[in-house]
Amino acid sequence: MEDLILELKSEIIKALNLEEISPNDIGDDDPLFGDGLGLDSIDALELIVLMEKNYGIKLTDPSQGRDIFRSVRIMAEYIQANRTK
Amino acid sequence: MLSIKQYSYISPKHACSLPPKAKIACAEGVDLLNLYRSLGLDYPKFFKMDVLSKLGILAAELLLAGEERGEAEAMEDRSIACFNRSASLDADIAYAKTIQPQDFYPSPSLFVYTLPSIVTGEIAIRHRLRGETSFYVTREWDAEFVVETVRQIFAVGASRSVVAAWLECEEDRFEAFMMLVGDDGDGLKFSTDIANSLITDLRLH
Repeated sequence: MEDLILELKSEIIKALNLEEISPNDIGDDDPLFGDGLGLDSIDALELIVLMEKNYGIKLTDPSQGRDIFRSVRIMAEYIQANRTK
Repeated sequence: MLSIKQYSYISPKHACSLPPKAKIACAEGVDLLNLYRSLGLDYPKFFKMDVLSKLGILAAELLLAGEERGEAEAMEDRSIACFNRSASLDADIAYAKTIQPQDFYPSPSLFVYTLPSIVTGEIAIRHRLRGETSFYVTREWDAEFVVETVRQIFAVGASRSVVAAWLECEEDRFEAFMMLVGDDGDGLKFSTDIANSLITDLRLH
């Protein structure tokens, strides 16, 4: 799980062009939206693409993202339980 | 009488603003990311932008940084008119790469920049400019068209100043020539000849 969390942090930084942020700057339980990394709705869509492209998880209902993208740890747990690649 | 109050220029060769308003008056050998850093900007959204919007944001920073305005003060009477040759071609190509039949993962963050006029919105948001925004695609830099278009914006009567810019980028080539045009007669005369003369000198620098 720890490896997946670290991998996910790097993938999020790359996918969302968080140029001046390193994986160490993202806490495992930090909120990704709102006060956390300050991501916006376009970033949420980009995370949905990332889930499908990297882990074969297709979120058919974008509102699911609200729960799944609460933190990197929650995202990693969801990926581990549902990944197809 | 309309006048050019100040202007900025960015190309891979150099970046400058006259009169110098930002922390950097003139830089040689320009890389957009380095220019962002040398200007001391703290605007994380910059990194998410396409090259056209980055270019517009930096040119506007060179042009408008240091203006004596309250932090939250918006300008209802300042408009933006941008011009270029390649529209949003770079962003279009980048997005197209994400929708190949064999590798179909459309990128929302690339898609949002597949319109050249997005840069006018980015500048307006950053500098709280609430006048008209417009973007025109022409075959090449056309001072006559730029001057006439800006005059038309003033003629409507809602603008006291206009940020007018040539913002061209294609692959690793880019050029921004941005003018702040005002209606108080303070500055260089806003004319086809002067605009042509300025951009010619800046290109030859």
